[in-house]
Amino acid sequence: MSVAVNGNASSSGWQGQYYHIDQVLDRPGPRTDPSFLAGDGVKDFLRNQCKILVIGAGGLGCEILANLALSGFKDIHVIDMDTIDISNLNRQFLFRPKDVGNPKATVAAEFVMNRVPGVKVTPYYGKIQDKDEDYYMQFNLVICGLDSVEARRWINATLVNMVDPENPESLKPLIDGGTEGFKGQARVILPTITSCYECSLDMLNKQTAFPICTIANTPRLPEHCIEWASVLEWPRVFKDKKMDTDDPEHINWLYNTASKRAKEFNIEGVTWSLTQGVVKNIIPAIASTNAIIAASCCNEAFKIATSSAAYLNNYFMLIGTEGVYSYTFEHEKRDDCPVCGGQTMDITISRDWTVDRLIEMLVERQDIQIKKPSLSTPTKQIYFQAPPQLEEATRPNLEKKLSELVDDGGEMTVTATSLPFSLSIRVKYT
Amino acid sequence: MSAAASESQDIETVTTAVSTNPGRRGQPDNKTRRYDRQLRLWAATGQAALESSRILVIGASATSTSILKNLVLPGIGHFTILDHHSVTPEDAGNNFFLEGPKSIGKRRADEAVRLLAELNDSVEGRADHRNVEEVLNSNPQYFLEFNVVIAHNMQPALVDKLAKYLWSEPSHPIMMVVRSAGFVSEFFIQFHEHSIIESHSETTPSLRIDKPFPELHAHAMSIDFEKMDPTEHAHVPYVVILVSALEDWKKSHGGNPPKTYAEKQQFKKRIQGMRRKPDEENFEEAEAQAYRAWTETTVPSEISALFKDSGLSSLTPSSPPFFQLLSALQKFTQESPHTLPLTSTLPDMRSDTKSYIHLQTLYKRQAEEEKAKFKSLISEDVRETIGDEMIDLFVKNAHALVVMRGREWGSFDQDRAALAMDPSGKETAKLATHLAFSALSSLTLQHQTPTVAALKAEVERIAGTDVELPEEQLDAAVGEVARAPTADLPNMAAFLGGMVAQETIKMITRQYVPQKGYLVIDMVDMWTGAVGA
Repeated sequence: MSVAVNGNASSSGWQGQYYHIDQVLDRPGPRTDPSFLAGDGVKDFLRNQCKILVIGAGGLGCEILANLALSGFKDIHVIDMDTIDISNLNRQFLFRPKDVGNPKATVAAEFVMNRVPGVKVTPYYGKIQDKDEDYYMQFNLVICGLDSVEARRWINATLVNMVDPENPESLKPLIDGGTEGFKGQARVILPTITSCYECSLDMLNKQTAFPICTIANTPRLPEHCIEWASVLEWPRVFKDKKMDTDDPEHINWLYNTASKRAKEFNIEGVTWSLTQGVVKNIIPAIASTNAIIAASCCNEAFKIATSSAAYLNNYFMLIGTEGVYSYTFEHEKRDDCPVCGGQTMDITISRDWTVDRLIEMLVERQDIQIKKPSLSTPTKQIYFQAPPQLEEATRPNLEKKLSELVDDGGEMTVTATSLPFSLSIRVKYT
Repeated sequence: MSAAASESQDIETVTTAVSTNPGRRGQPDNKTRRYDRQLRLWAATGQAALESSRILVIGASATSTSILKNLVLPGIGHFTILDHHSVTPEDAGNNFFLEGPKSIGKRRADEAVRLLAELNDSVEGRADHRNVEEVLNSNPQYFLEFNVVIAHNMQPALVDKLAKYLWSEPSHPIMMVVRSAGFVSEFFIQFHEHSIIESHSETTPSLRIDKPFPELHAHAMSIDFEKMDPTEHAHVPYVVILVSALEDWKKSHGGNPPKTYAEKQQFKKRIQGMRRKPDEENFEEAEAQAYRAWTETTVPSEISALFKDSGLSSLTPSSPPFFQLLSALQKFTQESPHTLPLTSTLPDMRSDTKSYIHLQTLYKRQAEEEKAKFKSLISEDVRETIGDEMIDLFVKNAHALVVMRGREWGSFDQDRAALAMDPSGKETAKLATHLAFSALSSLTLQHQTPTVAALKAEVERIAGTDVELPEEQLDAAVGEVARAPTADLPNMAAFLGGMVAQETIKMITRQYVPQKGYLVIDMVDMWTGAVGA
């Protein structure tokens, strides 16, 4: 490493490029772990060996890519399945109006490579589920900047499943960020070692759901009228035609339909913007919160890759509405976590419950939230969502009492196609 | 801006391709679509305030350009970067708004303004190549052209001088002082007074169930629960149930609401007894909301505290509209029923449409009446000058108004009593970090190298012996500053970029509540905390 006076062996670098970062890589701080090897070794790993994956090239992803590139990560991959929309431009700063309609991953990768010489960003325009374990195995670290709970659960379970106790390289630290308006969180997950994404599922805010009877019979709020238009009127009028919430014509129809209903019931407040917000479940998003959370995530990636400081153990929560409030704590691993716990989950239900009622509970319970669960015991198929023949064959069971199918204290396996794990449940009856 | 014309054409083509009927009623225009996700937080009023703001940033460091990025994206009106330096190789390595080696040797302000301006056509950006020291000495009025002045890692002597000048008149711009060194940082907002109507507080205003206005009272009394059919009975809004139940209760309790714990339980029992079937959700809601019947609606203590604010005692016709309205509010509360004006926003509750809308209409009507009364209490000298929109907002948010009074930059460090008061238990880490920065500034002033020993001695000199700082925490803070005294790390720059921009947006829009005192950040153990608030 004789040429690497600045710890940079790459030809595209320049003297002084890492002046700022090298101040924390050339010497330890008072709280740095003694195992930290200051100087060239750590710089070489960061700049020439470390390979990092960024999932999401949106609000958080754009920020994450820029921060990683400036921090000295040179081999960055990014996955995103979305294309750029005009409403992204108030915060996704790697995109310009001319990019609207193009894939986020590709445009973001281009931009960062142009702006920060010597960095390679490899984009993949598609879904995380397209990739297999071999693909994920090639990275040292994974950072997620996603807005989807489902995608987070998928990558979390995939990385937990990949851990092979015989092979330390198979443990990929997962850093996850999320924002909503002025609020956000960043966390570090060491699969199988610390609390995982699934362990904290019950911390998610419950989505406001309006009861169908309110929507159909007793609307009081503009939201009720909008839900009526989208949930009940659209399927009635358009039959099988799918609603596209990105199509302004569709939103327009919903807006007009909701407005008519609101007028009929003397309800005020249906607007175009509210209609769009309700049907798309829009979450407010601003550049500043994204910047804070993305920086927190990248700081953890940098600390893990270099050991220049201890990494977060393991959850950082931010609320920026009233002053700046943050809370750092250790979220605890759940023994009965279906992904990393290994223990069976106990549930107690009434002897009279039907299979259908149990499924409803599995969908609703904050710590389970499995959308389309299939149920089986080691000897019986209770209910399967797919394939169609099996669904049809098991459908009669929905009306049956679970106690007729599973004994008291018996075990059941719950699976869902969207999630790469299964949940073991032990049932007790009251 | 030169790039503006071509880019705005792009956005036009793009959006007409997406929306086939751009002129349709209700459908948002391009600007609204672009800003949609933030308008849902601060609405058109906040956006308008942002768009008329003018921001000055001194020095185009990585942190400075990160802050600006998060202000240009949401759409401030104007920014100037005042910076006489050329781009060094060191600058080009950590700043996303410089183009690496291509920018080296060029004027730093020019490069940063060019690359930041690309982010938003509707923002005006300007590069000023003068030396801030010269401007400060020869033409300090220059700084008054702006609403906010932001200074990151500025030379201590100049920060102090500029802060002092900006503090000298309450009408001068607010100042954000930002200091960072490696994994630690802090920022401070210097302002005299900051009043907020839209604090977006999560507390909800009273529904006046304990003091029902005549129409509400009459409505509740007109309900004959006995005669209702089962569906009607299960859809009476809880507000009506509570007003009616309370009235009933008072008859047998000498006109008093439930007071003791036992009485409150008894009151809840009564509501339970009013049910016809066990699953009537409206009665369940009434029971859960029963506290509203015995909690007396008065003026919240936070609001009555505002009536003692110096902004009211020194009120003149030229005082800001906020205080004119606050004075009217005080007069309003002095009259019966000694409450804030009624809000017209009724929360959702189990009910049929007709009963709910009727109840909502009663609240709206009463709210309008009380607003008219409130308006009549606004001093005649200024009544015409305050817009209806502001009066509406003020009345609607009367339960969550905020007045903040700030302090001068640096005054906390000279306030030995305040310094000694601040730390307790684990809280000392943030004070230690703040003092480490004060020590760094003071050593820089004396042209001394910031070694651990020198920093510690300086902290002791500033804080005196009354401030107890555990050795471990002082070492942790000072050691981190000494490790990287001039490092503007990309991740810290980005973190501060978000934080400082966000607080600036809160100050400009006068929405949400900004941070008081110093906000200290430690990205080793990943925490933030306030000092001297």
